[in-house]
Amino acid sequence: MVPLAEAGVFGWLLGLFSFKLVSCLALAGAIFAIGAWGVLARRNVLVMLISVELMLNAVMLTFVSFSRALVNMGPQLSNPYAAEGGQIFALFIIAIAAAEAAVGLAIVISYFRNRQTVDTREIRAMKN
Amino acid sequence: MDLVDLVFVLSGLLCLGSACAIVTRKNPVYSVICMLPFFIGMTILFVLLSAPFLAAMQMMVYGGAILVVFLFVIMLINLRPEELKDDFSLQAYAPPAIVGGMLGGLILSFVRHGIPAESALDRAFSLPVVPDANNPHLARSMEMLGFGGHAPALGSIESISIPMFKQYVVPFELISLLIVVAVLGAVILAKKRV
Repeated sequence: MVPLAEAGVFGWLLGLFSFKLVSCLALAGAIFAIGAWGVLARRNVLVMLISVELMLNAVMLTFVSFSRALVNMGPQLSNPYAAEGGQIFALFIIAIAAAEAAVGLAIVISYFRNRQTVDTREIRAMKN
Repeated sequence: MDLVDLVFVLSGLLCLGSACAIVTRKNPVYSVICMLPFFIGMTILFVLLSAPFLAAMQMMVYGGAILVVFLFVIMLINLRPEELKDDFSLQAYAPPAIVGGMLGGLILSFVRHGIPAESALDRAFSLPVVPDANNPHLARSMEMLGFGGHAPALGSIESISIPMFKQYVVPFELISLLIVVAVLGAVILAKKRV
């Protein structure tokens, strides 16, 4: 593998197409950005919730990548379970995503039953 | 480029492509169906990152539960066709502008400050995962539980469950409390008012 400092900008960008920590983090950042775009740009509440799931998945990917890197750092760390902690918190994120989907979809169903819409342009009962 | 790089690139592209499809489809049924290749790609990535138990959990909880709940709700609320049109609130050129600006800023910072050198974490990531000879805490716990003194590999059920019930037991209990509250809240919110 070419060292990062000798590769040049485009060589460094080409180096993202291999299995490295930087490329995992770049992939997670890209997925997070796509999810944030979905939350900002879509008007359907259901698709906004799906985009939130995308962002949570990107954060999970970051946690697991750092856990894979930290398992070889070993005795230099003060936390003896630092590597396993990344995967444990990814599991916690899965649990929180399930809870968030349940509550969010319950709110969507409850709102749709009252107003017959899931469009954010129509959801303005508390405006002004 | 060896096989691991190839699998990583392919599953990463699968994730990115299906994420774009999720966001850009106008019909939410297509968005939910595009979640399935996204979760398959994430599962392959987790297996590559030596987290097999987490990959199984991802496939079960996301692909098995959350996706079905989303599909179920979409069928339940029965959208009208005219609501599916004109779904984007930003202009069509805004997302490419944002991504291009971010990429341009990255390249500009490289040109001005140079490319970051490889850190200790980068080098540690490239090493193969040894079956955790350098974690004596896990080996001691396994010996206390009567499974011999060998430390489990990263990502196995043993290596996740032992720290979860030793060091991270308070967040674990708080998660269970959160799930109870979420289930009660979902039932109360979705209950039909009389």
